[in-house]
Amino acid sequence: MSDRIEQLQEEVKNSSSIHIDSQWLNYSGIEEYFSEELVITVKAGTAIKEIQAQLEENQQIFPFYITDENQSIGAAYAIGAQDISDSVLGVKIIDGSGELLNFGGQVMKNVAGYDVARMLVGSQGQLAIITQISFKVMPKSYIADLKPSYKENERSTLREEIEGRLKTVFDPRGVFN
Amino acid sequence: MFIKFKEVIIITCMSVIKELSRVLPKGIVLTGEENTRPFECDGLSVYRQKPLAVVLPENIDQIKQVLKICKAHKTPVVTRGAGTGLAGGAMPLSESIVLGLSKLRQVKHIDVENQLAIVEPGVRNISISEAVASHGLYYAPDPSSQIACSIGGNVAENSGGVHCLKYGLTVHNVEAVKILTIDGEELILSRKDKGLGLLALMNGSEGLLGVIVEITVKLTKTPDLARVVMAGFDSVRHCADSVSDIIKAGIIPAGLEMMDSFAIEAAEGFAQVGYPLDAQALLLCELDGTEAEVQAELDIVLKVLSGASSIKVSNSEQERLDLWKGRKSAFPAVGRLSPDYYCMDGTIPRRHLADMLEKINELSQKYQLRVANVFHAGDGNLHPLILYDANIEGELEKTEEFGTEILKLSVDMGGTITGEHGVGIEKLDAMCHQFNSKELEIFHKIKAAFDPEALLNPGKAVPELHRCAELGAMHVHHGQLPHPELERF
Ligand SMILES: Cc1cc2nc3c(=O)[nH]c(=O)nc-3n(C[C@H](O)[C@H](O)[C@H](O)COP(=O)(O)OP(=O)(O)OC[C@H]3O[C@@H](n4cnc5c(N)ncnc54)[C@H](O)[C@@H]3O)c2cc1C
Repeated sequence: MSDRIEQLQEEVKNSSSIHIDSQWLNYSGIEEYFSEELVITVKAGTAIKEIQAQLEENQQIFPFYITDENQSIGAAYAIGAQDISDSVLGVKIIDGSGELLNFGGQVMKNVAGYDVARMLVGSQGQLAIITQISFKVMPKSYIADLKPSYKENERSTLREEIEGRLKTVFDPRGVFN
Repeated sequence: MFIKFKEVIIITCMSVIKELSRVLPKGIVLTGEENTRPFECDGLSVYRQKPLAVVLPENIDQIKQVLKICKAHKTPVVTRGAGTGLAGGAMPLSESIVLGLSKLRQVKHIDVENQLAIVEPGVRNISISEAVASHGLYYAPDPSSQIACSIGGNVAENSGGVHCLKYGLTVHNVEAVKILTIDGEELILSRKDKGLGLLALMNGSEGLLGVIVEITVKLTKTPDLARVVMAGFDSVRHCADSVSDIIKAGIIPAGLEMMDSFAIEAAEGFAQVGYPLDAQALLLCELDGTEAEVQAELDIVLKVLSGASSIKVSNSEQERLDLWKGRKSAFPAVGRLSPDYYCMDGTIPRRHLADMLEKINELSQKYQLRVANVFHAGDGNLHPLILYDANIEGELEKTEEFGTEILKLSVDMGGTITGEHGVGIEKLDAMCHQFNSKELEIFHKIKAAFDPEALLNPGKAVPELHRCAELGAMHVHHGQLPHPELERF
């Protein structure tokens, strides 16, 4: 396990308030890339354009619209929408108790346990630190005109309640804000 | 004490049935051995359980009433679609009712322009494609069980099918769902929602978080043309490696399926479609799109497959369907050769396919049980069918042990215990191998966030921590032993 991950775990355990951003995270790089498997695993702080450059070498791309390629992939995931979630295969996270947890993986099909890897897309750094993400990538020739996905702002009270409870599941002490 | 406890249960059960029967129209609440027997199991028929009652509502309002009554009586609810699940997910519990949704089978709205359809949960998968075919559209995810299984069940399992390699799983083809919570409250989850990915969470939740009562599915344009390439190989390894080679060449086939020699023999004996009986392994590779696209892909694929021992390309729609017929009937075909068979569902990275098939072969010899392999090779999703005879004492247990070894191997190769069939009751032990106690705890808490009293399909999909501890599953995660906080038995 990397030293930085252990540091992050310690920091979460000893803090009462953390605001996650990629500079603070300070954890970047491409972990694994199997082009013939259409899978790439990256550390969350990696700049999107760095990943794109790697994919480009194999005529592959992320099959979702990129708003800002200077952003880190973790940030895109955290503010992301369904189109990003469609390409997510797995995540490693540190929850609000400082536990390192693993959900999903590097395979295309996986229905063991709830789909936490896709559920945390859009979690805005409020539930856990996303440390590593695995994505499905595609040959460029199969992807045409990617568009940004449109989001509704309206939310029901019941939804707010459930999201509140889920926040407590991952971050019982309310460390992340 | 014990007798008294039992009496109390019987009294509450009686009153829950009484109240359901009082509130709902006649013919909706089924009780008595004869009426409820067809609901005692799902596709995993070795496990059976009688429920208290079976309730077959006709509309959403009635489902709300059922949930409210069950909640008030703390009676567990097992939601059921068509009961084709292969993991025991829809198997009743002794103190539960079964909430069967087979009467909600209307395609409510078709939006041709936006390529969407709004359907009730009991609609059969194939019926959606049939309903929209005249518009040149279809619903892409196609489980082999598509003539029977329900779309609600598909969402609850995040089902896959032959065409998911190119067109995605259920989760990729659902635009929105309406669910009812255990309190009978409506919640709409859509791809357009801001916030957590609750729609994705609902896919594959196996009836533990909510009852899916309406689904908006995405529709796909029917391709101009589809052709299938059938390639026979002298060795399993050569065939498995060709799967990776096709993807490496930049091709995403519409379907990429593999069968081993035993499966070829069984399927050919059943369907007589001209599969090469001398081949050790067979690949079926479907290409679709415009005529030009298909031709361009075909040229590349034929080059990649030039080392195959035999090649056949479909020249008409009838030939294409014939070539698929063997694959699609492979399960019943294998079923003819044995009193019982057990279907596994591990998924691994494609590059390990050949190694995995060799390991399964070794295990087959170790356990002295025959195995036929028919699977979604493009996704790395294996379906070893283990042949056994439930009437021979101990053979089911031996089969399950064999299956568990395959699932552990899948996890160890970087894959998962289930690609599309779900955990249900069948893979609870295997879950202990894939997840550590902290991760399992998170799963339990997610359920509690939706269903704090654990009334929706309790005990399924996620094992209790003590179960894993008793099993002593050696899940070495992050360099630690599993459940260090729990006592060893
Ligand atoms: C011969 C055969 C071939 C198969 N091939 C495939 C295949 O290729 N790919 C594949 O993925 N699967 C396959 N399956 C498995 C099965 O068909 C799928 O899992 C299917 O999606 C189950 O649908 P169902 O309506 O029968 O669900 P059921 O078996 O009735 O239920 C399945 C689970 O979903 C829950 N559930 C059902 N409906 C709802 C609802 N409306 N709301 C909430 N929860 C609900 C149940 O509680 C249960 O846990 C196959 C099965 C058979 C028998």
